[in-house]
Amino acid sequence: MDGGKFFGAFRASSGITDAVVLNHVPVGCNWGAAIFKTTSNQFDMRHACTVMHEREIVFGGEDALREALIRADELYDTPILLVIAGDAPSIIGDDVGAVVNSVTLDAEVMWMEAAGFKGSMRDGYEEALTHLAGLMNESDMIENSVNLIGFSPDDFKVDADVKEIKRLLRDAGVEVNSVISKCSLEQFKKAPAAELNVVLGQGSKLAEHMKIEFGVPYLEMEYPYGLEGTTQLTSAISEELGTGHEPEFDIEPFKKVYLYLHELYGTPVSIIGDFHAEAMANFLNWELGFNVEVSARNVDDYFEFEEGVRNSNTTILFGSSFEQNIARTLDIPLIRFCYPVFDNVCVYDDAPYAGFRGAVCLTEAIINTVMSYG
Amino acid sequence: MEMSKHDMANDDGSPLREIFRDRVFNGIHQGTTWQFHRYGINCKLSGSVYAVSEIEGAIPLIHGPSGCAFHQRLTPRKMYAPIYNLPCTDLNENDVIYGGEDKLRDNINEVYRRFHPSLIAVLPTCVSGLVGDDVSGVITELDLPCDLLHVPSEGFAHRSRESLDMIMRDYAESWKDPSRSPAYDLRGCGHEEVMFSIVDQLMEEQEIVENLVNIESFGRFTYGFRSELREIKHIFGAMGVSVNLTLPTCTVEEIKRAPAAELNIVTRNLRWAERMKARFGNDYIRKWFFYFGLDGVEKFYHDAASKLGLDGEADDAIRREKTQSLQELEKYRNIFARDDFAVSTQGFFFTPYLARIYATDLKLPIKYLCVDMQLLKALNISEETIEVMITNMQEAFEEWDLKFEVITNPTLDEMSEIAKKVDHVLSDRITPPIYEKGGGVGVTDISATRYLLFRTGFSGIVVFGKYLNRELNTGKTGQNHREPIISRFNYDKIYYPMLDDNRCSASREMWSGMWSMKSEGCDNNGRR
Repeated sequence: MDGGKFFGAFRASSGITDAVVLNHVPVGCNWGAAIFKTTSNQFDMRHACTVMHEREIVFGGEDALREALIRADELYDTPILLVIAGDAPSIIGDDVGAVVNSVTLDAEVMWMEAAGFKGSMRDGYEEALTHLAGLMNESDMIENSVNLIGFSPDDFKVDADVKEIKRLLRDAGVEVNSVISKCSLEQFKKAPAAELNVVLGQGSKLAEHMKIEFGVPYLEMEYPYGLEGTTQLTSAISEELGTGHEPEFDIEPFKKVYLYLHELYGTPVSIIGDFHAEAMANFLNWELGFNVEVSARNVDDYFEFEEGVRNSNTTILFGSSFEQNIARTLDIPLIRFCYPVFDNVCVYDDAPYAGFRGAVCLTEAIINTVMSYG
Repeated sequence: MEMSKHDMANDDGSPLREIFRDRVFNGIHQGTTWQFHRYGINCKLSGSVYAVSEIEGAIPLIHGPSGCAFHQRLTPRKMYAPIYNLPCTDLNENDVIYGGEDKLRDNINEVYRRFHPSLIAVLPTCVSGLVGDDVSGVITELDLPCDLLHVPSEGFAHRSRESLDMIMRDYAESWKDPSRSPAYDLRGCGHEEVMFSIVDQLMEEQEIVENLVNIESFGRFTYGFRSELREIKHIFGAMGVSVNLTLPTCTVEEIKRAPAAELNIVTRNLRWAERMKARFGNDYIRKWFFYFGLDGVEKFYHDAASKLGLDGEADDAIRREKTQSLQELEKYRNIFARDDFAVSTQGFFFTPYLARIYATDLKLPIKYLCVDMQLLKALNISEETIEVMITNMQEAFEEWDLKFEVITNPTLDEMSEIAKKVDHVLSDRITPPIYEKGGGVGVTDISATRYLLFRTGFSGIVVFGKYLNRELNTGKTGQNHREPIISRFNYDKIYYPMLDDNRCSASREMWSGMWSMKSEGCDNNGRR
């Protein structure tokens, strides 16, 4: 099941880490978007809403939005307010742009229309980033630097994964300029300084936009799960930038559990998720030797996926917290790796799932889950 | 209704263990959600999703865009058990223009084909509400071998800030005179809408069976619900009264037969019970705050007996249960009488009656009752209402001849001084970690076990007494030398446990201000 365009826009916008997101919506949309974001970062409260109520539905929500903008400007210490107009104002026809233009505030204001019924979460993410690209400044190019595009602040393991990818690229002589969308406004504005954009699963519209507007070329790569996936990413970037780096990885940690890996070889598994799913399936298949029986994306028919898993020999399920019900019904373990994860936390940023270290952590998590399950 | 491993493992008969298990396994989710209420409230739709999910064999069908179903799977009242089976009509732009009724019809059929449920509850959203889809019309024309329910759950029709303020004030007014208990509901919580809908659309005329009762419940959401229900059934059984079902935690067929009960026991909202009375003639009794404590529980069963026409007949059974509990409690009372206590509690609907349990039922020699009213500010309760609560609480204590000193919103330093003047400080709210800052005030945490005191039964107070006695004997209540990690953070002075962080405080104030504006009779600043 897809979260819809509003969720995608919210996730992209709240990735500007010093921005405040003002949701022009009734209370429920605001709550829903925030509740998934805050499970693993409970004090990162940078969102508010206009509390659209029956009165706004009947008379319009423009006054409420104006009031909210003024209040937010007074209350928050933020360089920018990002207004996201959801389903209700879209239907009743609030003129959000006119309201935004009618107020003079200390903070910069940018608004976007993202009614949930008008597209998928991916659509919302892509459009929001493209919209935000209007904030970017022409900058002098920093040699051997890249932007990493495709992240959201509520992705599972996002901090650890970014840290690991940065470490690997640093070893390859590559500097990470901006992580989108997981960076400050200033870093976002300076994104055009990168020599190369690297799109990891989503954000290709922004990359295309930046190529046209700022001449920054881009690579589209899979999310770097596993030894092979990580090698592909670092090699491709290195080749594109001409840094001539040959990535090296250490398989010694895997030796410590090689007998367990033997026993798990050939394990039938199933997987569902956003763009992370395909890369994860490749790792499980190519490197752990699992048999991926059913593989699906969030936008696919969930019932078909569920039925497929039930009719398969799946013994480990990979997905989000939403898959716990299938796992419980089939009495098999669930490895959570992609959004939304609301029943596991990841607060330690040295235990990634991405990169070479991530391959080890992921393998450890799988073995531990299996061994403690029975 | 989802049944987790915890549900099954959690029924070993120990009420105390059940409380702690619920606190840990539910509380880790629910507690966080309550704190997030400082920054917003959930959708009315989520209350409806929760209530429908309690009905065995029912499937909620969201009539709206996919995003609604996506996030409503995680409903605040059931964070411990997400609603995994939550189909949705997935309305798109085309449906917004041309209407979503055809899609709804197709989806109802599809949901039946996939799940074969006993009931499909259609829950419209803001979008289908704005488009004006005729949900009732669609349901009426469909012919399926299951029941269909329409619950008006459009998210924009949620409750306003003033509703809670008004209810809180009315409660405070009624503390001394319970006959003035408020008789209106929290509008737009979603749960209420489901209850009303099932009365109107599902229940069927039955021959009323004498001495049969229905109980409104919140299932696992209420810590220790199972053992409480066991005791309620036990006491009613001794009175010659049977429990028909718990609403809405039951099957669809049971809901249809609900009007067979002579009496409904209402836990939260009255509207559904009033509707049942009007439609089927079932009387009701609401579990008010004054039914707390040994005398309160006794009164509850007497009042229920009276409603059932059992005046006098049930007296012996009720007296026996109460006497047994009093006898068991006596030894703990004697032990508690040797020491002095300070109790830290929070201002809420039930505060005076909870304090009375400590002082009268448990006979704790309380020197200081420290009442934190700050929580109420976080709930947007007005200063005027808080003043009324403080005044009426004091007057109630005087009338009940409770001699302790009431200290409102004590600071950490004041708590530290108070702690020096007593043998034990108890806290029934979530503040003990902050008292431990810098090895400060040693506090016995009774925030989980206090749930035993709110029960419609006598034994909870006994179990609490036994637990407290054991805790006091462990010597934990002296000066503490621990330094828990959570005691090392800086917290907001008013809205504990919110961190002292601009983002948190600004988001809280933002929500509070915007929500206040939605109250009737308020100006744009939320002022009346």
